[in-house]
Amino acid sequence: MKTILISIIIFFVFYSSGFAQTLEERIKILEETLKKQEETIKEQQKLIEDLKAEIKQAKPPEQQTVAQPKETPPPVGQESEKKSTLEQVQEQVQQLKEEVGQVVEAQKKNILSVFNPAIGLVGESILSYRSKGSKETGSDRPGGFDFFQRSVELNLTASVDPFARGYAVINASADPITGEATATVEEAAIQTTSLPWNLTLKGGRFFGEFGRLSYIHDHELPFVNRPLALDRYIGGESKTDGVQLNFLLPIPHYVSLTAGVGDQFGDTPNNVGDFRHFKELNFWGRSSTYFDLTPDISLETGVSGLFNPRTEGRGDPLVQPDGSTLTERRRLLLGADLVLRYQPLRNNQFRSLTWGTELLYSNNNYLVNPSGIPGGAEFNHSVGSFGLYSYLAYKFHRQWTAGFLFESVENPQDNHVQTFAYSPYITWALSHWNQLRLQYTHTANNAATGLRDDDAIYLQWTWIIGSHSHGWQER
Amino acid sequence: MKSKSFRLLLIIPLVGMFCAGVMPAHAAKIRIVATLTDLADFARAVGGDLAEVHSLATGVEDTHGVPMKPSFVPMMNRVDLLILVGFECEHAFLPALIEASKNPRIQRGTPGYVDCSTGIIPHDVPKSTDHSAGDVHPYGNPHYMLDPMLAKTAIGNIYNALLAFAPQYQAEFTRNRDAYLAKLDAKIAEWEKEAKSLKGVKFVSYHEHWPYFAARFGMDYFGTIELKPGIDPTARHVEQLIASMKAEHVPIVVREPQFPEKVPKRIAQQTGATMVTLPIMPGGVPGTETYIKMMDYIIHTMVTAVQGRK
Repeated sequence: MKTILISIIIFFVFYSSGFAQTLEERIKILEETLKKQEETIKEQQKLIEDLKAEIKQAKPPEQQTVAQPKETPPPVGQESEKKSTLEQVQEQVQQLKEEVGQVVEAQKKNILSVFNPAIGLVGESILSYRSKGSKETGSDRPGGFDFFQRSVELNLTASVDPFARGYAVINASADPITGEATATVEEAAIQTTSLPWNLTLKGGRFFGEFGRLSYIHDHELPFVNRPLALDRYIGGESKTDGVQLNFLLPIPHYVSLTAGVGDQFGDTPNNVGDFRHFKELNFWGRSSTYFDLTPDISLETGVSGLFNPRTEGRGDPLVQPDGSTLTERRRLLLGADLVLRYQPLRNNQFRSLTWGTELLYSNNNYLVNPSGIPGGAEFNHSVGSFGLYSYLAYKFHRQWTAGFLFESVENPQDNHVQTFAYSPYITWALSHWNQLRLQYTHTANNAATGLRDDDAIYLQWTWIIGSHSHGWQER
Repeated sequence: MKSKSFRLLLIIPLVGMFCAGVMPAHAAKIRIVATLTDLADFARAVGGDLAEVHSLATGVEDTHGVPMKPSFVPMMNRVDLLILVGFECEHAFLPALIEASKNPRIQRGTPGYVDCSTGIIPHDVPKSTDHSAGDVHPYGNPHYMLDPMLAKTAIGNIYNALLAFAPQYQAEFTRNRDAYLAKLDAKIAEWEKEAKSLKGVKFVSYHEHWPYFAARFGMDYFGTIELKPGIDPTARHVEQLIASMKAEHVPIVVREPQFPEKVPKRIAQQTGATMVTLPIMPGGVPGTETYIKMMDYIIHTMVTAVQGRK
């Protein structure tokens, strides 16, 4: 405990000294930038004045009241040359005025909206047909024909101050039974932008960094549905309320280390009762690195870990097919991921081949009540389960990508229960903001699942309005 | 044992952080990263032996689609200056890279963030940034580097940034800049002379890279093969473009090498125009490793294509 306190104190001493150094520098920088902009405006004004002066000089003298002998008109060529010079200067001044006006207008727009965060809205609709009903497949959506408004996601982001950026993601998803959409805060976090020592600190509600896809929003996945392994072991996206620290190793090779702590990891929080012990927090970490194998071929790999030393269960006790109940007591998840990509630099927007794979190992400890009767005899039991997803995506046009996803997952409560899924898909991106995806999925459940095999077709339509930023996770 | 391991786990990142903090911002040379190869060329010219310059692009990429490689991150983490085109040209990859780099010296608004568009009046500032207009640049067309006169402004901005960072080397930077500008001015005079036959010539290109080039050399920029910026052409748009090119006798189709050849070639065949492949940054085609070589190539290729039709 003493060691932890001393470490925290040391950290804040260095943190605050880093801040003190940058604040004065930043004020000075902003003053210098303003001065340069003023000089630029002065230069442009001088240019306008010079051009106006040239026009005045080029103007013919006013007609005089005293009759003048009729001048012989100059040869045609000379007269048109005189006119064309004057006309040219006038055109240039006019063009300059228009251009300066455009710049001023653009700046006015900027000034009016200067306090607005960047705002964007994502809509995601899925039309599907499943061959079996939800009772036979265990799906939370009905079988047969289904139209699911999975996301209406509002994104906001802006700088908080020179030291941090804030963002929020508010999502409304249709309830499978009632159809009503309830808005929830998926993410709302602040992230530092100027910590020393290659550190970035994020705090609030966010998706913790585990693997490659757990912190990606549903509509940004390279296929329609979140892989079964991530759904079963993490519980959807890696949502947490907590803090996460990222460290970029100060070496020429890219190595990124992340560590975080939060009160949950996934869609279901722990049951903590009236007092959350330190061991009831969730701890996670990830280490990733990257290699340019050739200018066109790259490899990114990572290892991740999640540890929740003690939990009173996440949600209600898990009722098993045999009537027993399991209450989660400890949660451990390990993952290894890789992305191998071929993306020729010359045609990088038109062609690429991506292979992404993640292998997960879950080892949870449960309190087992064989009878399922509260107060009955119980014992501890650990279950080790493996899960995997692997996909290949071939982009053969700026608009078109074809892919195949393979999934395999053992149930985290009973590793004899196993599910496989095979999904070919094709994506048509009409633009950055408008995308259609057609996917077929065959899900094969073994007998232990008690579920039936299922065939499903999905048509996913994703659209974006407003601000659209290319985050680091889109690499 | 447990507490020893815990202390070790704590000490290792603390030592790492300390190393990151005490590592000097720059060693003997000024470390510069430029987003595109033309800016890297200028930075080398002005910085000379005092600067170590890297470019994120190699020259063959789409300027809006340079990949966000994690290998760029450690390099950007250590640089003193980040040189960019500006006008949100690099919006698709640069903001995320800057954030990932964790380098406070090159964040937006700092002296290390060198926006070369400062002082340039943009063409085609959109009245609306609505997506119905495609992937428009809110501050105007960013491809001003294809106008060598405006490239001089970029050189000036790079010079000012170097001077602000290392004023003790003013004499060297000034000498380097002046030498390069003298060379560039001589080439500009050559290009203007060579490009006289381009005045009034109409052309289309795949993407709207060429308004500044067209304005400088008096060409008539007729349109683009893309339906809108960043939006691939529809069959209808291609047919309409072919019809209007025939009606207006547009003789040149410019294909930038990062776009596929199929559609521009078809348009050229159906309109009787000449298709030319022109780079938009140094290194885009072989033999164009520097800005001057690139402009030489562009002017010469265009002039040859136009004169070849007479």
